[in-house]
Amino acid sequence: MRRLAAVLTLVLVGCPLFIVSSTAVLALGAAAMILCFLGILLATPVLVGGMVLALGEYTLALWLAGGPPRLAGAALVGVLLVLLLETADFGRRAHRATIGPGLLLAQIRSWATFAALAGIGTLAAGAAASVASAAVRLPWAPAVAAAGAAVTLVGVAFALAARHLPLRD
Amino acid sequence: MNVRLTPLALSVVTVGAWGLVLGVLSGRAELVVVALPLLLGLLRIGRTAAARDWSLTRALSAARVFEGERVTVTVTVTAEQPLPLLELFEPLPPSLRLVSGHNRALFTLGPGRSVEWRYEVECVRRGRVSLGTVHARFWDRAGLEAGETSVRVPGVLQVYPRPLPLRRLPGPRRMQAFVGNYVAPSVGEGIEPGDIRAFVPGDRVRHVNWRASLRFRRLFVTQYHQERNADVVLMLDTLTEAGAPPATTLDASIRAAAALVTGYLARKDRVGLIEYCGPFRWVRPSSGRAHQERLFEALLRADVMFSYVTQEVALVPRRVLPPQALVVAISPLLDPRFEKALVDLAARGFDLVVLSPSPIPLVRRAMRPSAGADLACRLWALERRARADALHRLGITIVDWDPTEPLEAALGGLTPSRRRRVAS
Repeated sequence: MRRLAAVLTLVLVGCPLFIVSSTAVLALGAAAMILCFLGILLATPVLVGGMVLALGEYTLALWLAGGPPRLAGAALVGVLLVLLLETADFGRRAHRATIGPGLLLAQIRSWATFAALAGIGTLAAGAAASVASAAVRLPWAPAVAAAGAAVTLVGVAFALAARHLPLRD
Repeated sequence: MNVRLTPLALSVVTVGAWGLVLGVLSGRAELVVVALPLLLGLLRIGRTAAARDWSLTRALSAARVFEGERVTVTVTVTAEQPLPLLELFEPLPPSLRLVSGHNRALFTLGPGRSVEWRYEVECVRRGRVSLGTVHARFWDRAGLEAGETSVRVPGVLQVYPRPLPLRRLPGPRRMQAFVGNYVAPSVGEGIEPGDIRAFVPGDRVRHVNWRASLRFRRLFVTQYHQERNADVVLMLDTLTEAGAPPATTLDASIRAAAALVTGYLARKDRVGLIEYCGPFRWVRPSSGRAHQERLFEALLRADVMFSYVTQEVALVPRRVLPPQALVVAISPLLDPRFEKALVDLAARGFDLVVLSPSPIPLVRRAMRPSAGADLACRLWALERRARADALHRLGITIVDWDPTEPLEAALGGLTPSRRRRVAS
């Protein structure tokens, strides 16, 4: 399972290079890849650090390239991020453990289903947002976006806090 | 069982939040789209129900084994309702070492299905090992939330000390009245020829020595030595130990005791055990297979127990320490209380042999090698030799045994001299 996570890491840090292949993007990608590999082997916080760098690399590539939004690529990167986190976490749990019959197949089936549904859902939401943004022009759009992001995060935080405290590994 | 969020859920939130922040700062819509699958993934939280209808059983391939033997542990899990991802962990006590398989397992189970999980352990140290608790964690497929519980599945494994190979044993000086394997000085029924004397009425004709009778022209009979058994009492020093488990002086002493028990009982001797841990604990001398099990059970329980109590040897009843018994004391000679007990035994006229497993090689093995450690060990060896000489001057036979070497080699030098004494 760690190999699958490593492949996902390569795809994740390789995506921005297809947008713009500059030295800065390459350097950030290399740093993100090293951190992600270490995270897959060692601990989730290190992996999250690598993914934060990978997102930075993606942002830099988009900023350097400019042009119209690339929603399909963005949905792919989003799904990759989720799958990378989940496969790396599962790989760590499955390391030095007896794996029961049919477990890997069931897990891969579950990830594939989620990837398909999340990809389609994201693309649909992106398309709806594009149509809405073309129809309605909001004043102070950046401020509205920031407020929306803040409300989303606070909502997620409250929703998670309603559950119990996190488990220790 | 409480279902709780895992650190993975917080990681997903962190990465999603970072995507939103970057999206707002850079003004690029793609980063908001990147965050969407992460936030959609969080929608899966809350769909894991606490698992209730499941059961777990454990089976051991053997319940009673010797040190160094392997045991296969089989855990069977049965679920009445579906379990998407079940993680089981069975912590192993230090006296068991995993040799194949894993003591952690991950399963997925459908309703009414069961699964078996096996692993093999090696028993590295004697004792009563309890495999008690299995920890279970129920994950959802994504790993975003999990519930924990512990299941008590009693399973006791008795690990007996491994008897060391031993062909020759210290011979006793005095015999008992029962039939055994030792040639006693007294004459009577036996197969070992002793003396020849003149025939007297009542002697059996089959005992007539015809060669001597023909030469001296009068009847002579051959007398035979009786074959008798002996009482052997093993005295085990559990006042203190040195070295790192599973190779402490007590472990070596107990293995030696197990070897001596097996050897003497095979010779039809009556064997008893006295454990000296300040107060005395004992097993009365007896013989037979059942008694061997009793002695091994006692050795299984033997452990160092700190105590300020010092009891006198005189307090041990005669039926536990018979006056004619051979006493084999097994001690690293680290505690002066045991040396005092030895001197007391010798003063009371017991036939006494001290087998002393040296703590020095065991401690050296547990230490990092250094010049200081070498010097300390040499000084310790000198001190041990001085103490052994002091006991030797009191007429006590001491066998110094390096536990990294075979016990047979240490006892080899002792046996012939004791045999000569038996014959005289």
